[in-house]
Amino acid sequence: MTTTLSATMRPAMASRLRVSASHGFPALLSLVALVVILGITVANQPGILSVSGLTLMLMSAVPLVFAAQAQMLIMSVGDIDLGIGALIGLVTVIAATLLAESPILGVGMLVAIVLVYALLGLIVQKRGVPSIIITLGMSFVWIGLGLQILPTPGGTTPEWLTALGRWRPEAIPAPLVFIVAATVIGWYLSRQSRIGTRMRALGSSAPTLQKAGWSLAGTRVVTYVLAATLIIVSGLLLASQTRSGDINSASNFTLMTIAAVILGGGNFSGGRALPVGATLGAVTLGLITVLLSVMSLSSSLQSAAQGIIVLAVLAGRIITERFTR
Amino acid sequence: MSVTLSSPLLTEPDAPLGRRRIGWPAWGWSLIGVLAVWALIVIVRPGAPFDPLAQAMTLAPFLVLVALGQMLVITLGPGNIDVSVGTIISMASYVSVAVGASVGPVAGILAAVGVGIAAAVCSIVAILLLRVPPIIATLATSLIVSSATLLLADASRHSADAGLREFVNAKILGIPVIALLVLAITVVIALALRHTRFGLSVLAVGQSARAAERAGIKVWAITALAYLVCGAFAGLTGGLLAAFISPSTVLGTSYMLDSIAVVVIGGTLISGGRAVATGAWTGALFFVLLSGLLNLVGWSIGAQNILKGVLVVAVVIVSAAATGTGRSSRARLRESLHLGTRNKETTHG
Repeated sequence: MTTTLSATMRPAMASRLRVSASHGFPALLSLVALVVILGITVANQPGILSVSGLTLMLMSAVPLVFAAQAQMLIMSVGDIDLGIGALIGLVTVIAATLLAESPILGVGMLVAIVLVYALLGLIVQKRGVPSIIITLGMSFVWIGLGLQILPTPGGTTPEWLTALGRWRPEAIPAPLVFIVAATVIGWYLSRQSRIGTRMRALGSSAPTLQKAGWSLAGTRVVTYVLAATLIIVSGLLLASQTRSGDINSASNFTLMTIAAVILGGGNFSGGRALPVGATLGAVTLGLITVLLSVMSLSSSLQSAAQGIIVLAVLAGRIITERFTR
Repeated sequence: MSVTLSSPLLTEPDAPLGRRRIGWPAWGWSLIGVLAVWALIVIVRPGAPFDPLAQAMTLAPFLVLVALGQMLVITLGPGNIDVSVGTIISMASYVSVAVGASVGPVAGILAAVGVGIAAAVCSIVAILLLRVPPIIATLATSLIVSSATLLLADASRHSADAGLREFVNAKILGIPVIALLVLAITVVIALALRHTRFGLSVLAVGQSARAAERAGIKVWAITALAYLVCGAFAGLTGGLLAAFISPSTVLGTSYMLDSIAVVVIGGTLISGGRAVATGAWTGALFFVLLSGLLNLVGWSIGAQNILKGVLVVAVVIVSAAATGTGRSSRARLRESLHLGTRNKETTHG
């Protein structure tokens, strides 16, 4: 009995392992990059290996991890969101102004953003327009709204949000808690829930999903709504750290989130969602800033370093994919 | 409402070449937009009705130049877009001023074109060798370029050459010299798209890269050339803008979305395969006049951004519906976004 069972299971297990190995390989690559960055940082600043040191180092990665999970959901259906950075900026602006002054209006704005995303998902599905152009256009709407509400950086976040940013447990670094939470949420949404399966099905083979009796538009709209919610959480967390609003505070998140998903083993054509990989990618990219300051390099080089690392990892990925096949 | 194709090369199967109607040109809607905004400006501020147009003619050429390059790239088909033009303009402005101060203004402009091409080479290597989707490749390039711009800005203490300044602001019969120059470039591009091997190949690749490849077109070479032209035009714009305004790290920022918007508004298909060079002019004039009008009425930068964004989204949705290209272009976009060799097995997460 057991022998026949294992005999029938073995090919399935083997292909499963092989597929997950080839999927997980890029994430492994970014894990290596992460360890190298961590190693260099610790060698230069041994003090960083404490709860407070890790808190400082990982803090900037927290909003990025949430945003990367959002981008991962959008990319799992085969779309790309180019408005993510501008929208997170807008959320920090809303958090620092409306949410503190008139909470009802602030919450209303955030709900409106989710509704707009639902509409975007519907337009992309029904009209077949590229998500890249639509979200790029929307990013200017977000920036415009942000400038209308708060022309120059400033404002103050509500007390509860500031308290969230100030929360420091003694045993473990607070950012680690948020990063793990974001990963678990992303993992549940994309890999564990039924909607996650539908998302990946929409990304890899939309006709199959339709034949199975599911609504394509419904799936895409739910994906966009879930992503918008995660983006808002990311914006609120960023505001809780900076305690002010700035429309340009997250402008580099757009590329960083896409890069994080790709670094973590995702792809541009959809059908794949690897939450742990996306988190690893986001943390790696977030730590580049820390690395540059530890190595006392000019902050002007920061964006170039990010660009080069993205290209290098993508190149590495192409090479490893050649070998694993 | 139907938008018919203006070029005989691109007739749809149901409209054979011989029976082609003398249809509505693809840039027609944007021309209506230009006239409407112009009329509104005249209503808001009566007297001297040609002043706003003359003013727009001084600003629009720069946008047209960037848009022409962007148009070639977008025409290559779904997924092709150059988001590095904005940062290239900023970088080229510093380069042209720095080289111009030590060697001469002409060398400065050439150097600006050169750095534009260098940035394009970076994108092309990523797109063709590393097989990175163009939008990510050009985003990565723009990150590298913006770092270079910041480093140049720290070192630069020059200002533009006086002779170049004079040239950029010169007018013949009331028309800026730059406008005439860009007009000539537009004519060259338009003719190239209709009559040269390169232009026709760009259109063919945009309509179907696979069919173009089977027909013996070197798709990689055409792709590379289109991005090179785009980078060169962005560099030239930066060099000229350095003399027209002055070098700055944010000089080119607005040109990124504006160039894409101008291309789309001008009637070029975002899904590729149809380029409308005239549309770059009508689109750019529409954009420049519109921001003139909004400034006149007293709209803030924020409100102008909102309107621009909504306009781009609306035009994309309407044009996707009018030409019926949306669905097929998305399928092709997704195909083009596959990393490396196509392997169905690995797409099942």
